[in-house]
Amino acid sequence: MSDPVKLEEREEKKSDGLLEAYYEKPKRLTTWSGFPVKDIYTQDDLQGVDYERDIAKAGEYPFTRGIHSNMYRGRYWTIREGSGYARAVDTNKRLKFLASQGVGGFSIFRDLPTVWGIDADHPMAEGEVGVCGVNLTSLKDMEDVLDGIALDKVSVALLCASSLAPVIFCQYIAVAEKRGIDFSKLRGTIANDPLHSRYCYGKLSNPIDLSVKLAVDIIEFCTEHMPFWNTNSVNAYDMRETGINAPEEIAFGFCIAMEYIRKAMERGVNVDDFASRISFYFSASIDFFEEIAKLRAARRLWAKIMKEKIGASNPNSWKFRSGIHTAGSSLMPQQPLNNVIRISIEALAAVLGGVQSIHCCSYDEPIALPSEDSQRLAVRTQQILAYETGVANTADPLGGSYFLESLTNTIEEEAVKIIDEIEQMGGMAEAMRKEWVDQRIDQAALKLQKEIESKERIIVGVNAFTTGQREESQGDIQRIPPETETEQIANVKKLRDARDHNKVKEAITRLRDKALMGESENLILPIIEALKVYATIGEIQGTIREACGLSYDPFNILKSQY
Amino acid sequence: MEKRKRILLAKPGLDAHDMGIKLIARALKDAGAEIVYGGIYVTPEEITKTAVEEDVDMLGLSFHSSTHLVTVPKIMKLLKEKGRGDLTVVVGGCIPLEDIQVLKKMGVRETFGSGSPLDDIIDFMMI
Repeated sequence: MSDPVKLEEREEKKSDGLLEAYYEKPKRLTTWSGFPVKDIYTQDDLQGVDYERDIAKAGEYPFTRGIHSNMYRGRYWTIREGSGYARAVDTNKRLKFLASQGVGGFSIFRDLPTVWGIDADHPMAEGEVGVCGVNLTSLKDMEDVLDGIALDKVSVALLCASSLAPVIFCQYIAVAEKRGIDFSKLRGTIANDPLHSRYCYGKLSNPIDLSVKLAVDIIEFCTEHMPFWNTNSVNAYDMRETGINAPEEIAFGFCIAMEYIRKAMERGVNVDDFASRISFYFSASIDFFEEIAKLRAARRLWAKIMKEKIGASNPNSWKFRSGIHTAGSSLMPQQPLNNVIRISIEALAAVLGGVQSIHCCSYDEPIALPSEDSQRLAVRTQQILAYETGVANTADPLGGSYFLESLTNTIEEEAVKIIDEIEQMGGMAEAMRKEWVDQRIDQAALKLQKEIESKERIIVGVNAFTTGQREESQGDIQRIPPETETEQIANVKKLRDARDHNKVKEAITRLRDKALMGESENLILPIIEALKVYATIGEIQGTIREACGLSYDPFNILKSQY
Repeated sequence: MEKRKRILLAKPGLDAHDMGIKLIARALKDAGAEIVYGGIYVTPEEITKTAVEEDVDMLGLSFHSSTHLVTVPKIMKLLKEKGRGDLTVVVGGCIPLEDIQVLKKMGVRETFGSGSPLDDIIDFMMI
């Protein structure tokens, strides 16, 4: 038993540091999520577990051990890195750099004005243009971002999850079409998860009903026209980053996904025609075993939900496909090189958890946007895991561990309880309307902070082993030049003058008419047409918002010109 | 009775990472301050208007999308114009170390970057 008084005394007596370090032992004997951990796990902890029923081989229902029978022997996970910053040309250059470093897939990040669906010259966009991502006010920007990138060969993840997802998705399609590429051949993913993004950004521009309607438009369109495109990447990661625990991450992510799936089915889309193209974006956080267990539990639970609750009959519809992002919230600005270690451990957990793609954070993220060097290191981290460590050579190498299997069961049980609670409320949209989700997130964040403040949770370099933050160098910081914004605003104004006004007006009118026809009218094609004549994202979002009885501008500043 | 310290907390701009500022609001309240919570997505005009109308003793701003160098000077200018150039302004969030002096030159009294101990923040803001 640790004696808190004695510990304090020890902290005062620095001369006893050596002795203290010698006798150090773990104080927090629970997982990150708070599940108690015992001295040792044995076969007694797996009583009632039936191997064939509950674990099974990789590639077999319920897919606890992986969705493919030979996992990475068939193909490594996708080493995915993304970019989106400053001007479109800067983003384009970084994407090409990443390609030259051996990444297997891109993600494209957009800035906050784009997420909100406001143009670069909107008064609220000031200071934000090109900062957290690239600004995509018009099709011209997407053309520049994708310049020289072979859209028929590459797999691109478009990371725009807000209600604006369909517009960004359509920008991509429009660029392909203008280059003469048939959009049925495009491969990629659109984040398309506006419900989650209410908790991360742009709540005002993400009203629940409109969000779900537009998300279903993408599902319906891809089901009919784009066989290789993944329609939703349901983002549990961002919610986890707020401080919720591992079972909550699973439960919130799954309940959001069920919301889209059920609405798509209500519109008449057959679940087996699209379910296999829904994937999840999960976190790999710092508690090594818990994160591996979480991914295994998620696979088993999703299989059961899709088969039993949703009633999908194609085994491909039962598979939990996941892209992983290492936990940005686990990274600290103090002693930033420590983050390299955190990222490596988290990425290793993701690999051992059997995921399909990994995005490693860059170690300088708590300080600024990743530099080219730090992003290269993020790619190299994955390459070392893949090519040097041997961890990819067999499926689910930790399966059968008494501790891991027991933890997998615990996390699944807890996630089921939360899902049942949400379902009893009427599903995730209802839980959001009642602000139940908000309260749960706030409680989690407060609890986490208190645990750090009280040193119940130790974070190296932050509340232990500090060296005095102010003296530390943070190295070179990637900055966005202020000209980025002024240049982009000038570009947008120029574009507005140069485009064919009558054509824009016609396209906007067609979009409005279609949107007025009701929720089940698919808006993808009219959005593509409006983009091709260079209607901006603000104009497109505003037109749809107005047709749905909302204000044109989420901030109530601008009015429609059409 | 001693007047309780009135602190306006706000997060300007489009970014919604409001966990930090909400935690600080709660901790300051526990420490005895009266919190005027300006919330997220607020403009410099709205923030300074509230600061004047609510006659606050201190303004705490949170930034996570590197817009602090653009927004802080605007807020400082508006405060001066509205006769509240005396207001103590504290900035927190994702603030690179090399920006601390820049912000102080703009008139910011203190900065608390991510990972700052809550006690330090509360001690400073409650003085």
